[in-house]
Amino acid sequence: MRWGMVINLKKCTRCHACIAACRIEHFLPMGMNWPRLIAWETDVPGEELTTIPVRCNQCKDAPCVEVCPAEATKKREDGIVYVDNDICVGCRYCIIACPYQNRTFLSRDKDPGYFPGYERTRFEKAGRKIYPHVVGTTEKCDFCMERIDAGLAKGLVPGKDREATPACVNTCQSRALTFGDLDDPESEVSKLIKEQNAFQLHPEYGTDPAVYYIDGKIGNAPSNIAPREEQTASHIQHLSTMEERAKQIFGKK
Amino acid sequence: MAEKKIIKTTCKSCHGGCGVLVEVTDGVITHIEGNPESATRGTMCAKGLSSIQHIDNPYRITHPYKRTGEKGEGKWKQISWDEALDTIAAKIKEASEKYGPWTVATSQGTGRGYNRYVHRFSRSMGSANVISPGYICHSPRIGLYGLITGYGRLYCDYHGWGGVFPKTQISWAKQLEISSADSEMAYWYTKSLDYCKNLIIVDPRATAFTSRATLWLQIRPGTDAALALGMINIIIQEGLWDKEFVENWTYGFEELKNRAAEYPVDKVSEITWIPKEKIIQAARLFAQDTPGVIQIGSSLERQANCGQTIRAIINLLGITGNIERPGSMISWVLPETGLIEDVFNEIPLTDEMRSHIYGGDKFKMGAARTCNPDTIIRELNKGEKPIRVWISVGGQQIVHLASTQQVVEGLKNLDFLVQVDQFWGPMAEMADIVLPSAHWLELDDIYDMHPRFMIEAHNKCVEPPGEAMSDAWIFNEIGRRVVPEYWFKDVETLLDHELRKAPITWKKFSERTVSGCFGPDQKYYKYKTDYWRKGGGFPTPTGKMELYSTVLENLGYDPLPFFKEPGESPYSTPELAKEYPLVLTTGFRSPFYFLAQYRNIPWLRTFMEYPTMQINPKTAKELGIEDGDFVWLESPRGKIIQKARLFPGIDPRVVAATANWFYPEAPAQGYRGVFISNPNILTNANYQDPMYGSPDLTCLICKVYKCKPEELKDPKYSDIFIKEHGGKPWAW
Ligand code: SF4
Ligand code: SF4
Ligand code: SF4
Ligand code: SF4
Repeated sequence: MRWGMVINLKKCTRCHACIAACRIEHFLPMGMNWPRLIAWETDVPGEELTTIPVRCNQCKDAPCVEVCPAEATKKREDGIVYVDNDICVGCRYCIIACPYQNRTFLSRDKDPGYFPGYERTRFEKAGRKIYPHVVGTTEKCDFCMERIDAGLAKGLVPGKDREATPACVNTCQSRALTFGDLDDPESEVSKLIKEQNAFQLHPEYGTDPAVYYIDGKIGNAPSNIAPREEQTASHIQHLSTMEERAKQIFGKK
Repeated sequence: MAEKKIIKTTCKSCHGGCGVLVEVTDGVITHIEGNPESATRGTMCAKGLSSIQHIDNPYRITHPYKRTGEKGEGKWKQISWDEALDTIAAKIKEASEKYGPWTVATSQGTGRGYNRYVHRFSRSMGSANVISPGYICHSPRIGLYGLITGYGRLYCDYHGWGGVFPKTQISWAKQLEISSADSEMAYWYTKSLDYCKNLIIVDPRATAFTSRATLWLQIRPGTDAALALGMINIIIQEGLWDKEFVENWTYGFEELKNRAAEYPVDKVSEITWIPKEKIIQAARLFAQDTPGVIQIGSSLERQANCGQTIRAIINLLGITGNIERPGSMISWVLPETGLIEDVFNEIPLTDEMRSHIYGGDKFKMGAARTCNPDTIIRELNKGEKPIRVWISVGGQQIVHLASTQQVVEGLKNLDFLVQVDQFWGPMAEMADIVLPSAHWLELDDIYDMHPRFMIEAHNKCVEPPGEAMSDAWIFNEIGRRVVPEYWFKDVETLLDHELRKAPITWKKFSERTVSGCFGPDQKYYKYKTDYWRKGGGFPTPTGKMELYSTVLENLGYDPLPFFKEPGESPYSTPELAKEYPLVLTTGFRSPFYFLAQYRNIPWLRTFMEYPTMQINPKTAKELGIEDGDFVWLESPRGKIIQKARLFPGIDPRVVAATANWFYPEAPAQGYRGVFISNPNILTNANYQDPMYGSPDLTCLICKVYKCKPEELKDPKYSDIFIKEHGGKPWAW
């Protein structure tokens, strides 16, 4: 089993919601962004072509793991690379080693509070307890491993069941993010990778990222027929407040 | 053991509508995410998620205040709710008795929760002078759709309830994918694209979708009517129109045909700067691959030809038969709760109220239920007092109306101004009394979406800060003091009243959270049934969809659409364009801000710290501007500073500025930085749409040049632009 993510650039609207969701999920200090949208430059200096969402690639051959002298950056069986912040000594070798610049050192100035000079908000204070961050250590996206573990423990399937799926994937309004098991050829991610010519960023770095990208044209859908569950709006129908009398007055005759 | 609750509610950080789950632990919000059991299936955008930072935000207004210094001086004294409400009620009564109730105006921001209370409040007092941003956002669409459907709403059928999704979609001056504007949700739109054959985008700037769409028509701002008429002409010339629909259900096809013939594709290409082949291809795709929809953005309503532009686009929908078919444009059937807006419709406008609508004699379509704000500002600047008392909720007229300087000078001339708001901003600094209002996480109310096929519940999750109260409570309390016969014992009674048709009580509805008419309960092809008219047809004077509008004709307007150059453009004012050579468009959507809001939400401000203007690298090079430079944008009215972003996705002859910008962190003096970067410093209301009064806000001309470093050191700007000099609270 190896968890992976497919980012669909033809769906991504560059709305930044994934960043906001990650900030909430992990109570990120102001200066920390685990996922980011970065400019994709052309060869002409200063000409920005587009932006592209990135987060830690959970590389198979992760240089950040190799260089860590304290063995604080670890790779799990399921491919997730994470930092044990109780062990991290803050040497920042991994930051230099990561060719994708997906790691951030949490220095004191990156944690000024939401409103510098004012009391921390109650959400911030609660976050200190629920999801503490250790100043002087390095952080990065960990594929929401707590969600995955808690979900699996309940028998849920990451990428399918919301509770077991990364927060950014859940919030994405255009459904540009897909999560699942790269080792399972039947998983949604594996199928997307195979069918839509997915690519990894900078394969020449030789780290074998678990985050893939697909791109192409919008449109050319083979059919515009709505599937039955869309036609019936079954996911919201049951919420309707329809009362007996209202049914008589307004209901379908 | 901590007490943990999950509260189901509805987001209102844009026009709203996403279902939300809020986790509250011992009275503190510890998590927000989308509700998977809602119409947006658990998704939320950055704005909605960042609502957490409204809570304990030190910039919130927490108590009622009365001004003790000069306007814009920032000197305030905290007062009690009773003193505030009694003073306001007395001022309203005094003005009403002495000068007439129409001298009391009520204004609002975007069409969110308070919209219907604003109208009820105004009407209950006997005034139709509602000052609404509607005339530059959504009202022209509603009003002109109303000429076909009577009831005034056509929306894109993104849901597949009729069996199919749209095959061809035109996204016209809109970025629904990042805005969910007008409560057509980004989630629905992007999902419908999975079933789309052709996506056509009409936008002067590249977006995430333009390079991936079937076609991108990169249009010169302000020429959209020409494009629509050009497409109509091609469709008619090539015989591609929907013959069955046009013959049986439309009126005035021949007249439209002749009018459209005045827009041959070569001419249209010259006007719009769009290559001829692309216009032809767009016309063919839209006519042949039906059903189709056109999603119209409010930028078109911020132009002095807005009425005819929208009419032209509606006619394009008409000749292609894209009305009321599954997968086309549709007017949704209401849920069992009926029309929530009846809470103000039940107090009809009287002839006397109507006769005092400012600008009503001129802008006849706009005057259906609101006045023309620019007319009032002009009068105030002349030293007249058309309005004595102005009750403003949520909106920032100083920021969004044309000609910021004139708005500020004009408002100083009011006898009494109240601002109801969550945060300090330019309007609050101008006010005599400021009232603190609650955020959607802090209140009970009904969420009434623009497309109207459902309503949802805003359920209170936490207490508001200090003494802040919901807008519904505030209106009810002022209303009770001025015209008690129209107002309610408390907010719950008001909400029960609004829901009575279902019938359901607020308490019960708040548990259910949704009342909707969706799926097979919706009705398509209403014109083929008795729905609008016995024996079928449209609720228009001719019983047909009026390509030629008899209603407009009777009001003295051209019944057929036409194109008119913007008031200032390289073609309409060539002399002026020598001095101001670049076309300027303002107000493109940002996924982090909703109009003038959220510059004080740290998470959102990190995404765009300074207002940003986009300029083509070629143009920038000629002007010696580099990416990230602060630049001046100047028009004959004044100049503003924005940060330059070199962007190849914009025409070298056009620049785009971020609109609605003030600096909440700036001092009260200078009205919180409203004169520094707001593009309405550059606009004016000299050219207005004859139907709606909408001025040219998104199509004008300007020049751009680099800001000298010493200019930013000016004490007026240094706190904002030079971080070492403070930069608080945005120290990060
Ligand atoms: S939330 Fe989705 S659409 Fe928005 S930026 Fe992230 S990946 Fe793209
Ligand atoms: S992207 Fe960087 S931080 Fe993440 S696993 Fe690869 S090398 Fe390590
Ligand atoms: S997977 Fe989880 S940790 Fe990684 S970016 Fe998404 S929300 Fe953040
Ligand atoms: S799209 Fe609108 S309603 Fe949905 S989360 Fe964003 S701001 Fe809220």
